[in-house]
Amino acid sequence: MSELDLAALDRDGALEEARDGLSRAGFLGTLAATGTGALLALADDAGAAPLRRSDVEVLNYALSLEYLQAAFYTEAERSKALSKRAAEAARVVGAVERAHVKAFSSLLGRKAIARPRFDFQGVTEDSGDFIKTAVAFEDLAVAAYKGQAAKLKSGAVLASAIGIHTVEARHAAWMRYLTGVQPAASAFDEPQTRAEINQVVKATGFVSSAPRTSARRSPRYTG
Amino acid sequence: MVATADPRARASMDEAPIRNRSSRAELLRGGACAAGLALAGVTGVGLPGVVGAAPSPAQDERVLNLLLMVEYAEVGFYEAALRGGTLSGELESFAEIVAEHERAHLAVVREALGSAAEPEPRHDFAAATGDPDAFADAAGRLEDLAVAAYNGQAANVTPKAFAAAARIVSVEARHAAWIRSIGDRPPAPDATDQPKSAAEVREGLRKLGLQL
Repeated sequence: MSELDLAALDRDGALEEARDGLSRAGFLGTLAATGTGALLALADDAGAAPLRRSDVEVLNYALSLEYLQAAFYTEAERSKALSKRAAEAARVVGAVERAHVKAFSSLLGRKAIARPRFDFQGVTEDSGDFIKTAVAFEDLAVAAYKGQAAKLKSGAVLASAIGIHTVEARHAAWMRYLTGVQPAASAFDEPQTRAEINQVVKATGFVSSAPRTSARRSPRYTG
Repeated sequence: MVATADPRARASMDEAPIRNRSSRAELLRGGACAAGLALAGVTGVGLPGVVGAAPSPAQDERVLNLLLMVEYAEVGFYEAALRGGTLSGELESFAEIVAEHERAHLAVVREALGSAAEPEPRHDFAAATGDPDAFADAAGRLEDLAVAAYNGQAANVTPKAFAAAARIVSVEARHAAWIRSIGDRPPAPDATDQPKSAAEVREGLRKLGLQL
């Protein structure tokens, strides 16, 4: 485990700047239902003007969480060590998270961060550990997206992307159901800040290396 | 839906499940929005849906009143199902917990509207709650509809209304996945939840038994 973690992605210190803009706390989201090549190619359309830097920041943060989830489910599916129900969930949810990664990456183009290395420390090889970790990841994703949405400047990105936030919530409820935990624990889901999310991710030790980035600014540690 | 709204704005909202916070001019110029439109292509959200008026307090009122109808329907539906006494076991505890959540959502949306809140419409959920199978099917449709209703208005509202709705919509998605899990149906069938327009939402609510 290196000293690097997802906190390194808070490159522009967006956390600090964010809270004054308040309050579109909620749907951040993103995308990509079908994942077909033709549609994804639109994201690379030469006519498209660049995204604003602050939106790139938010989208890359979302991409980092999708990388984490996609890697987790993909490894779980490949482990062939899970119960039938857990394996089925890993297969279906993994495909969706990979579609999210693909869509974010395509939208960001050359500005997309690279995939970090992960070490899930065996939790993908035990059904109980797998589902508990999945619950944690999905609840975290819901809170993270909700916490980041206020920063998105492009209404078009927000408008096009909101649907992923609720899909993560569906996944959270699904995984909770599988392990016998109440799928909707309270009437309201609260957002969490990037610092709170990073703290949780860091504590897992699952991120074993930070991604390299093509961004010109060097990483700034805020976590 | 009882209308106090400007009918032209209503028509615009009906046609535009998802709209842009940016001005139409900005959209036409391209700018940063072009990437968003490309994303719209990725998500399958149609381009016409991203062109519309900027959020305003008046528009918040129309949107929140639509969401109020969703919450009225949910509270009425679950309370009718529990009164009917045909539920037991897992379905009954689902209905009890979710009814509590929906009452809390209704209170938040109604409070956000204040005196602008439209009155509760009449409803008839007899068919939708007549037996456990009908209940489970209708609950799944209602929760999916709620998710699509909130998502469909997310870009139409001011930050204040957005923040209130954001705390609710993911809980609706949890309910949807929960009832689908109980019925052994796919809890999260798609990579993204597609939005619905206000007109589609009202039509869906009518089909389930809300008298709009």
